[in-house]
Amino acid sequence: MSFVLKPFLITLLLVGVFGLVYLRANFLKLEYSLGELEKKKMHCLRDRKMLFAEKTSLLSFARLESSPSEEGFVLPDRLKVVHISKQMRSLTQQASLKQKQLAEP
Amino acid sequence: MSKKRAVILHTAIIFSFILVSLRLADLMIIDHKRLAEKAQQQHVKVEDIQVRRGTIFDRRGRELALNLELESLYCDPEALIADEEDIKRLGSLVNKEPRRILAKIPDEGRFAWIKRKLSPEIADKVRDLDIEGLGFVTEAKRVYPKGELASHIIGFVGIDNQALEGVELKFNKYLTAKGGKVLLERDASGKTLSSGVNTEAKGNNIVLTIDEVLQRLVEKELDTAMEHWKAAAASAIMMDPYTGEILALANRPAYDLNRSGNVPGFEKRNRAITDCYEPGSIFKIVIGAGSLEEKLVTPNSLFDVSKGGIQVGGKTIRDVHKYGVLTFKEVIQKSSNVGSIMAGMKLGRENIYRYAKLFGVGEKTGIDLPGEVSGWIHKPERWSGTSLGAIPIGQEVAVTPIQMLRAYAAIANGGILVRPHVVSEIVSPDDTIIASFRDNDAHRIISARTAETFRDILKSVTEDGGTAKSASVDGNLVAGKTGTAQMIDTVTKRYSRDKYVSSFVGFVPADNPRLAMIVVVYEPKGQIYGGVVAAPVFREIARQALSYLNVPREDNLGQHAVLVLR
Repeated sequence: MSFVLKPFLITLLLVGVFGLVYLRANFLKLEYSLGELEKKKMHCLRDRKMLFAEKTSLLSFARLESSPSEEGFVLPDRLKVVHISKQMRSLTQQASLKQKQLAEP
Repeated sequence: MSKKRAVILHTAIIFSFILVSLRLADLMIIDHKRLAEKAQQQHVKVEDIQVRRGTIFDRRGRELALNLELESLYCDPEALIADEEDIKRLGSLVNKEPRRILAKIPDEGRFAWIKRKLSPEIADKVRDLDIEGLGFVTEAKRVYPKGELASHIIGFVGIDNQALEGVELKFNKYLTAKGGKVLLERDASGKTLSSGVNTEAKGNNIVLTIDEVLQRLVEKELDTAMEHWKAAAASAIMMDPYTGEILALANRPAYDLNRSGNVPGFEKRNRAITDCYEPGSIFKIVIGAGSLEEKLVTPNSLFDVSKGGIQVGGKTIRDVHKYGVLTFKEVIQKSSNVGSIMAGMKLGRENIYRYAKLFGVGEKTGIDLPGEVSGWIHKPERWSGTSLGAIPIGQEVAVTPIQMLRAYAAIANGGILVRPHVVSEIVSPDDTIIASFRDNDAHRIISARTAETFRDILKSVTEDGGTAKSASVDGNLVAGKTGTAQMIDTVTKRYSRDKYVSSFVGFVPADNPRLAMIVVVYEPKGQIYGGVVAAPVFREIARQALSYLNVPREDNLGQHAVLVLR
C-alpha cells in the first residue's frame, strides 16, 4: 500500500507546489496586464481631455461669431421673430372643445 | 583512506549547512526588520493621489475652466548622462537657453525640474532624444478654453494649481479635493503592478450665473467702445434685477487666462468691484427715490432752475444747459444739477445719508468674488459746507459700478435690494448638488409705489428730451440714468479738467425688466458725457441681449402669435 501511496503523495505535493507557483505567476502576469491597461487608459483619458478642451474652445461663442462661413452665429432679426405666448386660462378648454367638434362633426 | 575522506566531506557539508543556517538566522531573525524595510522600499512605490480641480461651467453648462494632463520634465542629476550637444537640443525643444537648463541642475540630489507642463508634442520629442537621467511626471494643468472671456470672474491658478484670483480663489476649498498617498507594487525593473485603486481625486464643479453668449456680447461692445473713445478702462455688468444673478461682468483691459503669468496688475484688476469712483448724476437715484418715498415731491413738483446755478456753502454749482422751470420728472430726465440739489435740500442731510445707505452706498454688496471694496459716504456730521451741494449730484461719495447697478436693480424689481452673485451651484463629481446659492439677503428698501414712480421717471431719460436717447432700444422701453463725473487728478488732488468717467445704468424692458446693466467708461477722449459715450454701449449690448434672450418687442412692429395648448 505504502509502495503506491508514497509516490502518489510525493507527486501530489509536487503538483500542488508547482500549481501554486503557476497560479501565482499567472496572477502576477494578470497584474502586469492590468497595469499596462491602466496606463493605456490613462493615455486615452489624457487624449480625451485634450480633445474635449479643443472642442470646447472651437465651440466658443466668440469663434462661432467670427466664423466667416454661413454656419457662423447670427442673432435673429427681432422683427422677424414670432413669439408664441402661452395663454393658460380659457384657451385650453376652447381648444379641447374644438377638438371634440372635429372628432364628432 | 576513503573513510577519512568521507568524514571530511560529511564535516564540510554539515559545516556548510550550519553556515547557511546561521546566515539565514541572521537575515530572517537578527536583521529582519532592516531588510524587510529595504525590501518594502524596493517593491512598494508611494505615489501621490493626483488632485484635479473641479470644472467651472457657465449657467448653460458650457465649460469655462477644466484640466489637462500634461507631462513635466525632470532630471536626476546623479543619473544624468548628457553632453553639451544634448543639452543644446533639449534647450531648443523646451525653449530654454542651455545655460539656464544647466543652472537648474544641482550638483547633489536626485531631482530637479527642467520644464513643467510640456505639450504632448514637445514631450514626445524630448523623449525621442533618449537622454539618460531625464524623466517625466504627469501633472494637471488648468486650462481656460474660452481664453480672455470672463477673465475677471473666473480668475486663474498658479503653476502648482494654487488659486490666485476670481472664483478659482474664492471657491478654492470647493474646487479642490483632499489628496493623500497610495501604495503601488513594482518589480525589479520598476514596472508598476495594477493597484486596483483610484489614484485621482476630483474637486467639486461650480456652475456660474454668467452666460457665455451675454458675456461675449458685453466684452465685444466694451472693446468697441474702448477703441472708439480711446478710453483708459471700461467696465460693464449685466444682472438679473430680481435674483441678483450676474449674467455678465467684464472689464477692460483684460487678459488671456491661459497666459496669466506675466500680466500686469492693472489688467488683472476687477474694476467693477474693486475701483471706486465719484458716480456723478447716476447717484441722483438716492435723491429722487428718497424724495418720492418721503413724499416731499411728486413727479410734477416744480423746480425753478432758471438761474442756471445754485450757491451752496459759498460754491456755485451750475447746470450744463440753462432751463426754466422744470418738473421733478424733468429734473431727472435732463439731469439738472440745480434741481437735484434743490430736491436734496428738501430731503435734508440725514435723509440723504440714510437713503444712500439703504441703496447700499458705502457697503459691500457681498458679491462672491474676492477684492470687493465698500466705497464711502461720510456721515452727515462730517459733511462740509459744500457737501449738500455736492452729494446730491454724486460728488464727495465713492461707489463701485456693482453698487450702482444693485441700486438701480432695486428700482427695476419694485424696491428690493438684492445681493449680486456669480456662483449658482456647487456640484459634486457624482452630480449631487452640494450648495445652491440663492439670494437670501434680499430686503425691501423703498415701497413698490415709489419704485414704480421712479421707474417711470427713468423711462423719460431715454425718450426725446432726455440725456440718454442714445440708450433706447428698438421695440422696448429702456429706463436708466446717465452719469458724467470728473476724476480726481492724482498729482494736484483736485478735479481733473480732462479726465472724466462716463456711465449709463439702466434696465430693459422698463416695465418688465429682464436685465439691468451698467456701463462705465474711464477717461474717454473726444467726448465725456454718459449719454454720448456709455449709453450707446448699453443700447448695443441690450439690443443683442434681448434678441438672444428671446424677449418680445413691445411695439406693434413685433409679431405675436398665440399658442393653443391641447
